[in-house]
Amino acid sequence: MSGANVWTRSRERMKRLPELFAQCGPEATAYGKCVTATTASKEELRKDLCIREFEALKTCILSAAKKTVK
Amino acid sequence: MSAMVYGGVSQTGSPIGGAMNVFDRNMKRKQKQWAASLEDPDKYEYLKNEVGSRVADRVYDIARTFPLALDVGCGRSHIAEHLSKVGLLFLTDVSESTLIFHVLKPDGVFIGAMVGGETLYELRCSLQLAEIEREGGFSPHVSPYTAVTDLGNILGQVGFNMLTVDIDDIHIHYPGVFEVMSDLQAMGESNCAWNRKSMLHRDTILATAAIYKEMYGCDDGSVPATFEILFMIGWKPHESQAKPARRGSANISFGDLGKINQSPSMDKPKER
Repeated sequence: MSGANVWTRSRERMKRLPELFAQCGPEATAYGKCVTATTASKEELRKDLCIREFEALKTCILSAAKKTVK
Repeated sequence: MSAMVYGGVSQTGSPIGGAMNVFDRNMKRKQKQWAASLEDPDKYEYLKNEVGSRVADRVYDIARTFPLALDVGCGRSHIAEHLSKVGLLFLTDVSESTLIFHVLKPDGVFIGAMVGGETLYELRCSLQLAEIEREGGFSPHVSPYTAVTDLGNILGQVGFNMLTVDIDDIHIHYPGVFEVMSDLQAMGESNCAWNRKSMLHRDTILATAAIYKEMYGCDDGSVPATFEILFMIGWKPHESQAKPARRGSANISFGDLGKINQSPSMDKPKER
């Protein structure tokens, strides 16, 4: 497979994820804390339990990506 | 003794002879070839180099020289670099423990190392939690590993004598889970179990990164990855080897251990 296609674009986006992730420390911590709180408490982890925190993290990542667009 | 060993693997990548079919060996070969074709493969070989030198250490610990050795699954000859007391060294790409047993001469030794036990538990747990929260279920992404306790049984069943199994914990720090996964891929160590899921959603990867950092992150911002290396030594039986004594042949009791200092003329206790 040569030339630009969905896989090369997808891979490029993935490569940027670590640096974008580094810019969203507080949101990442909030999401991480929400999920790990279930390991200690009686509440069982289920789908979308921490969706609010995850959406905040994702929004942060997307806006960081827009800021540093080539 | 010829060192041409052919693996017990059929064309489809599944083992013959009724062995448990956990891994897609054809896929593993493709992953290793891809990793070998990278621009800078040495950059990712740090773990194998370290384990290779520890295996070589164990070779040296044995007070014998060997005229002929076979390095099974040698990769980039991580072990051979450190060895000099071996006469001839053959390097191959095959690994089946019963095959190794048959290939050894009596009183030959098998020294091996593999990842096992708790290797990559941080990655496994973070992925599991992330998948549950994001997708509602989870599937295995890290291979099932041999437990230390099972290793002795496996080697014993094959027929090896005088087994020694010990564990080395290697903790490697990475900037984040992305680097852990990309390094594993570049080492050729991507998952190839038949039951692997073929996709990892971007959202799940993002969630994993956050959870990994929160659960295991260190003060300096890095995250650790554990590699539990199981080292094993087994000998092909030979009359010269020490055998366990016959049941009931003990003539000294453990209770007499306290008296050892008082009677230096006593022989070594012949207890089992």
